[in-house]
Amino acid sequence: MTTPLLDVRNLSKTFVARRGFMGGESAVVHAVSDVSFSVAAGEAFGLVGESGCGKSTTGRAILRLVEPDSGAVLLKGEDVLAANPRRLRALRRRMQIVFQDPYSSLNPRRTIGQTLTEPMAVHGLGSARKILEAVRMVLAEVGMPIDAANKYPHEFSGGQRQRIGIARALVLRPELIVADEPVSALDVSIQAQILVLLRGLQQRHNLSFVLISHDLGVVRHFCSTVSVMYLGRIVERGPVPAIFDEPLHPYTRALRNASPVPDPKAKVIMGKLEGEVASALSPPSGCHFHPRCPHVMEICRGVYPSWVQVAPDRGVACHLYPAGIGSTVSAAAAPGR
Amino acid sequence: MSEAGELPLAVDGLTTAFRVEGRWYDAIRDVSFSVARNETLALVGESGCGKSITALSIMGLVPKANGRITAGRVLLDGRDLVPLDETEMEKIRGNAISMIFQEPMTSLNPVLPIGFQVAEALRYHTALTGEAARARALALLEHVKVPSAARRFDDYPHQFSGGMRQRVMIAIALACSPQIILADEPTTALDVTIQAQVLALLAELKSETGMAMIFITHNLGVVASIADRVAVMYAGDLIEIAPVEELFEHPMHPYTEALLSSIPRVDRDAGDLKPIAGQVPPITAMPSGCRYADRCPLRVPRCATMPPLVGLAVDPNHQVRCWVRAADESVSA
Repeated sequence: MTTPLLDVRNLSKTFVARRGFMGGESAVVHAVSDVSFSVAAGEAFGLVGESGCGKSTTGRAILRLVEPDSGAVLLKGEDVLAANPRRLRALRRRMQIVFQDPYSSLNPRRTIGQTLTEPMAVHGLGSARKILEAVRMVLAEVGMPIDAANKYPHEFSGGQRQRIGIARALVLRPELIVADEPVSALDVSIQAQILVLLRGLQQRHNLSFVLISHDLGVVRHFCSTVSVMYLGRIVERGPVPAIFDEPLHPYTRALRNASPVPDPKAKVIMGKLEGEVASALSPPSGCHFHPRCPHVMEICRGVYPSWVQVAPDRGVACHLYPAGIGSTVSAAAAPGR
Repeated sequence: MSEAGELPLAVDGLTTAFRVEGRWYDAIRDVSFSVARNETLALVGESGCGKSITALSIMGLVPKANGRITAGRVLLDGRDLVPLDETEMEKIRGNAISMIFQEPMTSLNPVLPIGFQVAEALRYHTALTGEAARARALALLEHVKVPSAARRFDDYPHQFSGGMRQRVMIAIALACSPQIILADEPTTALDVTIQAQVLALLAELKSETGMAMIFITHNLGVVASIADRVAVMYAGDLIEIAPVEELFEHPMHPYTEALLSSIPRVDRDAGDLKPIAGQVPPITAMPSGCRYADRCPLRVPRCATMPPLVGLAVDPNHQVRCWVRAADESVSA
């Protein structure tokens, strides 16, 4: 097997939360626990889950925007976590991030031109003329007029600002872009424009993406492989569309059923999933999903299920599949209670 | 519509203007719709389309400094609310018409216990006081399925999750058994599994009480799962209104059509995503005719004048504001 572009192995990150009077007590939040996945060159990989599931922390840990506690992140075999500051800078040129809210991630006091040339200057890429040419090209590529370079972020709409955010990531010609909810703040018609733009860039430059989203529709449209996260852990991983058409993990199924579809005949199965996402401060024992799971068994309350690779491209962490995808699947896939 | 008197709420020709740098511009113009008992009407559109301004105009909450209703009527059981003063509106708000907002944390008072806030609506609008108000508030919280409501009655908003806070908001809205609930993006801030729970609760409460609901959202998936009828807004115009299945099956306005094919869907394969080119014109530079004309592939010279909202011959309940499409369908009215 060839080396994947990005290989994430057993990544974990905990935060210490201060609570109580004047932060006198502290508690450990396992934001990301034992997360592993790999992304091939040119692949769009999706991380989905609800708020607090650890998907953004995972994205940031890959770039060391937050320092992971343990695990490994390999970019074409090179260890990102072990890199010294100089190596890290070189590695970061090859992996960039696009944020949800381009307004808060663009410096309001800098022109778009300044924002776009800065990364190139930081990485010492070429002469002033070459840099200007690169800015001109990247603006054209994201569908912005060249005179945008002389304007400030507030002069643009949300969709245009996101194009600028993408241009900033793109200007260094990275191999990987971590896109953290890149279209969540946008209206649907603008959202579609940005998704089409990202798809075009992916195909033209053989770019890899880690797309972080809570929207299953966006992920299905953009990604070829998806991991579903719940309370810091990946609970299922598989190819699109199989993971949405035949979800294995009860949580994936619940998420799929609760996702509204613009078709009155396919009403969402409303309110089926009882309870709320537990706090990451005190995740339930055993399988974190067990208090909400319609298929909960005795073992689920005490033991976290181990990862079962049910097919070469499909895996799940659930006690319903103790020995792979055998007869248990049909029983579990039967529509709920 | 002539039977407006029998409908809990009818909005007729509503136009609300806002002042921008000394000049007045119509934020919504000539908006007309009605909602029947036990009916959910979804008001859908992208940001800036005027759906929230419509809600504020109905509630008499248009900020007076920079905004005013310049034309039209809001008929509650046949009585026009537009000319009423603040004192009279206060008797209606939270009583005959209640509102649920997007972000329950900012609409709940952070320094008052939630039970007190539910009871407050009762003390203000009904004869209930003290223990009776408290008992009724508790019953309401149980009704909206706040778990262990009695124990949590004196908890503060920050001690609740987003979904539970929204349930508290719903309890407050229901306190005086309103005829109409105006829900403005009530599930937008929630995760999908929690959104599904809140939508289920709202649907259940509506059919139980027979109240009318105006549900404002940008999410067509949510519309499909909760609405009986749908009104689509674009740049301040109500451009299409139809029963929910009809709208999704036979969208008539080019904008509605384009909007539906720009949604990435979880139940369908990729590849058919068609973005709408361009963007909504700013309020200071709206065309006087059809406001979608600039982005519309079907544009004809006539679009420079504002098209009327007309019913279609095939289904008079399906109305569209488009010169081209209305003519295609041989207009009935």
